Amino acid sequence: MSKRTIEKVAVLGSGVMGSRIACHFANIGVEVLLLDIVPRESNEKEASKGLTLEHSAVRNRIVNDALQFALKSNPSPIYSKAFAKRITTGNFDDDISKIADVDWIIEVVVERLDIKQQVFENVEKYRKPGTLITSNTSGIPIQSMNEGRSEDFKKHFCGTHFFNPPRYLRLLEIIPGPDTDQAVIEFLMEYGSRFLGKETVLCKDTPAFIANRVGVYSIMELFHIVEEMELTVEQVDKLTGPVIGHAKSATFRTADVVGLDTLVHVANGVKNNCPDDERNNVFAIPAYVNQMVESNWLGSKTNQGFFKKVKGDDGKSQILALDLKTMEYRPSERASFPTLEMTKSIDNLAQRLPMLYAGMDKAGEFYRKSFHGLFSYVSYRIPEISGELYKIDAALRAGFGWKMGPFEKWDAIGVAKAMKNMKKEGVETAPWIQEMLDSGITSFYKIENGAKYFYDVASKSYKEVPALDGQIFLDNISKDGIIWKNSGTTIKDLGDGILNIEFHTKMNTIGGEVIEGLNKAVDLAEAEYKGLVVSNTGDNFSAGANVGMIFMMAVEQEFDELDFAIKSFQDAMMRMRYSSIPVVAAPHNLALGGGCELCLHADKVVAHAELYMGLVEFGVGVIPGGGGTKEFAARTSDEFKDGDIRINTLRNRFLTIGQAKVSTSAYEAFELGYLRKGTDEVVVNRDDQLAYAKQSALLIAQKGYTKPVKRTDIKVLGKEGLGIVYVGAHSMMSGNYMSEHDQLISEKLGSVLCGGDLSEMTEVSEDYLLKLERKAFLELCQTKKTLERLESIVKKGKVLRN
Amino acid sequence: MNAYIVSAYRTAVGKAPRGVFRFTRPDDLGAAVIKKIMAENPQIDKDLIEDIIVGNATPEAEQGLNIGRMISLMSMDTEKVPGMTVNRYCSSGLETIAIASAKIHSGMSHCIIAGGVECMSPIPFGGWRLVPNSDVAKNNPDWYWGMGLTAEAVAKEYKVSREEQDQFAMQSNHRAIAAIDAGRFKDDIIPIEVEEVFVQDGKRATKSYTIDTDEGPRRGTNMEALSRLRPVFNARGSVTAGNSSQTSDGAAFAMIVSEQFLKEHDLTPIAQLKSYHVSGLEPRIMGVGPIHAVPKAVEKAGLKINDIELFELNEAFASQSVAIVRELGLDPEIVNVNGGAIALGHPLGCTGAKLSVQLFNEMRRRKNKYGVVTMCVGSGQGAAGVFELLN
Repeated sequence: MSKRTIEKVAVLGSGVMGSRIACHFANIGVEVLLLDIVPRESNEKEASKGLTLEHSAVRNRIVNDALQFALKSNPSPIYSKAFAKRITTGNFDDDISKIADVDWIIEVVVERLDIKQQVFENVEKYRKPGTLITSNTSGIPIQSMNEGRSEDFKKHFCGTHFFNPPRYLRLLEIIPGPDTDQAVIEFLMEYGSRFLGKETVLCKDTPAFIANRVGVYSIMELFHIVEEMELTVEQVDKLTGPVIGHAKSATFRTADVVGLDTLVHVANGVKNNCPDDERNNVFAIPAYVNQMVESNWLGSKTNQGFFKKVKGDDGKSQILALDLKTMEYRPSERASFPTLEMTKSIDNLAQRLPMLYAGMDKAGEFYRKSFHGLFSYVSYRIPEISGELYKIDAALRAGFGWKMGPFEKWDAIGVAKAMKNMKKEGVETAPWIQEMLDSGITSFYKIENGAKYFYDVASKSYKEVPALDGQIFLDNISKDGIIWKNSGTTIKDLGDGILNIEFHTKMNTIGGEVIEGLNKAVDLAEAEYKGLVVSNTGDNFSAGANVGMIFMMAVEQEFDELDFAIKSFQDAMMRMRYSSIPVVAAPHNLALGGGCELCLHADKVVAHAELYMGLVEFGVGVIPGGGGTKEFAARTSDEFKDGDIRINTLRNRFLTIGQAKVSTSAYEAFELGYLRKGTDEVVVNRDDQLAYAKQSALLIAQKGYTKPVKRTDIKVLGKEGLGIVYVGAHSMMSGNYMSEHDQLISEKLGSVLCGGDLSEMTEVSEDYLLKLERKAFLELCQTKKTLERLESIVKKGKVLRN
Repeated sequence: MNAYIVSAYRTAVGKAPRGVFRFTRPDDLGAAVIKKIMAENPQIDKDLIEDIIVGNATPEAEQGLNIGRMISLMSMDTEKVPGMTVNRYCSSGLETIAIASAKIHSGMSHCIIAGGVECMSPIPFGGWRLVPNSDVAKNNPDWYWGMGLTAEAVAKEYKVSREEQDQFAMQSNHRAIAAIDAGRFKDDIIPIEVEEVFVQDGKRATKSYTIDTDEGPRRGTNMEALSRLRPVFNARGSVTAGNSSQTSDGAAFAMIVSEQFLKEHDLTPIAQLKSYHVSGLEPRIMGVGPIHAVPKAVEKAGLKINDIELFELNEAFASQSVAIVRELGLDPEIVNVNGGAIALGHPLGCTGAKLSVQLFNEMRRRKNKYGVVTMCVGSGQGAAGVFELLN
């Protein structure tokens, strides 16, 4: 069979999921045909323009409106507005024949079996044999969908379950039907991962598949525990949020966001379709939830659920919480437990979980109760919903945003320890757990030789967690691979002569210890290796420089020390650029301020598609001082072409920093000039990023890498550019779009970008600009208003606009 | 030696940058008006036209390369008629009529075509390359302010409320619509043929249409809609897109001749420019320039302000218009009776000539004798011209 490629897909159905799935395919460069039904009649607005149902604007209204609504939604489903052009719209009546030209037909119509079957019957008339056909569903059994279809259809038919929003939630469940060709399954697993960037999990055709089965179980269990233990919704949210590696919205606020009706629908589905589930009763809807549904307190969509936002008498908005005993709203209360206080300082989740579990207070009791229920539940789900336990963990991590899945949590607490307690409390588990422990295996996972292994229940032995060819995971690199370490960084050997430096400071901010690590990494690489990658596994690549340190020095008026610190930062950044080995930065999520500056100085950036990058220093009252302003001046200079209007090029660059623009994707980072076309690259699957970064470093090294000569050819505009800086800043201030202090910062920024008041456009060196940049930074740190801004960020975490 | 205006026309005004004239170049637009003036007066030998003076506020790019001379070559079918370009921003189109009148008055010339053209569709406000003097910008940044900020400064200093501005804007639209519906601009406007060449389904396609009506006025403008608009120049201000003039494309010209030329060619005079005055004031509040310019111009004409029966006051912004009407004590019923730039558009360098054309025709309908065209001018100036209607 020839290799399958996807150039064009058809998405049938443009609802919330359909339009966003269409956008995600457009994101990765695929041409998309998005279809939906023809409206019954023209609406008032159309009629007033004389448009009848014959007109394509009317016929495609449903699909066009849905797509526009999706494109305008926030967070955006599309990496770059320009990518929307890859989507063409149409309707089922006029355009269905076009599906003959696509490589993959993706059905995302309403979740009703009869309608889906009708659509498939229609699809069969036009679909070319061999074309992939999938149905996106969260609950309809896949095997029931393709009744009456041809053999070719059945062979190429498979279920998928994208999670909303499909661009951002990483899970993609793949659910084969009884006749799905093995090659099709394998293709979808790899394509979903490598091309769509998803965590693809192969599921069985069981109710709610994997993630919702366990995830909704977990929520339903908490719905019951909250009553049994007489806790408040705030307390449960406090106990089940970031402290156990779950989203900040935890349990009840998540329920409000998802919608209580949706949750009840899924729970009922499991309750009705899984009569043999040993915890079937957990899926029974508690009386208070039924009462809420009846009252239409469904959450955000009806403006009240477990929480309600109201305007207080003072005009300020106030959060009310539902008291489940009285079923009345009352002001939300701050929840606190001694166990949580005690474990506050422990950043590492795997170390925190056993302490929470061992807590002597009500929190400890809560954790034992809820974890025991969850552990028991997942033990029995093997092999029902998955033969392999790692899939359950992967699905919960990617679909529900848990940092650790149920088995991983159990490992962290200790399998035997929890078993002992569960036995004591009469909580049963599937027999394989005890068998595993009896055989001398004490954990579900182990890491060996750079790979992760899971306990395979069927074979009663460890097997490697499968990864796509070549993927590298920093967390799987064992102690032997650690070359050097300090309190803020670890340097690991990725093999083939490439080192990686990762940060592990709070929010991965860059302070003295990270600077030391960066310099050390370059020293080591220059001495014995071929290249260096800068990447980490934190939530964010880096939130920027350590502002606390800058604030302390500034407030103590230790300006010589501050000058020295800024100089060290600049020097370290310049060392990224000017060394005898290639440096590749591999940022993901937030790369702000100093984190962005680091990337600006790398030889190459291999960015994750979800990259939120920006020079946001204005917010703390300074200009980029780690070479960022200098680098923007250099990039401005590189953009100047003979005959261009230079001022406009300068203005665009100026505004990017002046308005602290942050990209909403890696592609937007190119548009904002943080990434360089032709040099920097984007990887959609986060799991492929490190391997690609490593390969890039290796390739650059292999083609012969010479330490670059420092630049002395940066064209700055001098007075030609300064005038517009002054006028622009003053106008913005006069129009109340910025404060007087912003005006001052803008003038400093403009002055550095123009190279000062030079009489004509002049070529200057990087060192010349770095000096100007540092001087401006220090001058700003000596102003009261910048100190206030720094203080606000350090103490309150808020950007102050003074 | 008097100077007489014997023929005067304008194009309709299109919206910029996405309006009806976005495919028509300013030189073409200007040439079309001049061709019409020449066609109306076939007895005049083209070679007798001594100059074509074109007002333009952004003489660069499509309007660069001395657009005045380009227009003279394009419109006259002879290379013997010279052409020049004059820039005094928003009063350029009136300034050129004043220059022509003065040259004729002094005996230097006998026949000049003067007016203005501006296409704001292809060229950004202020031009492509804004390079303020950095020393001036540092010390007097408001000399370079955008016009919106000056409108806000006027609103603040002359206490013109948001509601007054919106009310004025609504009236401008209502009056303009009424004028269009009554056909009151029919005599002003020469129709322009536009050909659009574009790509349709991957192939070259063309479309032709005739533009003879001002595009700007909004039917059904009401206070509710206007009051919902957000300020655009100052986050806490009162000047909105609804109570500011529109950016526009348009052209207007007049033929001005000496008494001798008038008689030799048996021409009928329409009007005469009695006086013209330009004042200077703080750039920050340039909008109230006419407060200084109008009294001076009226005085130079030997008249009293009460002698003026009709005003065309360029509505750069409602804030400055309201302030001027109030400060000069004008009767609102004789100011911009057919609407103003808020509704009809403001093609900068053309405006002075365009308002003159409108003034002549309306004065004729009203049987007025004296009328004034006045406007505020960027960087702190105000201009006013007093016309006497002759026929």
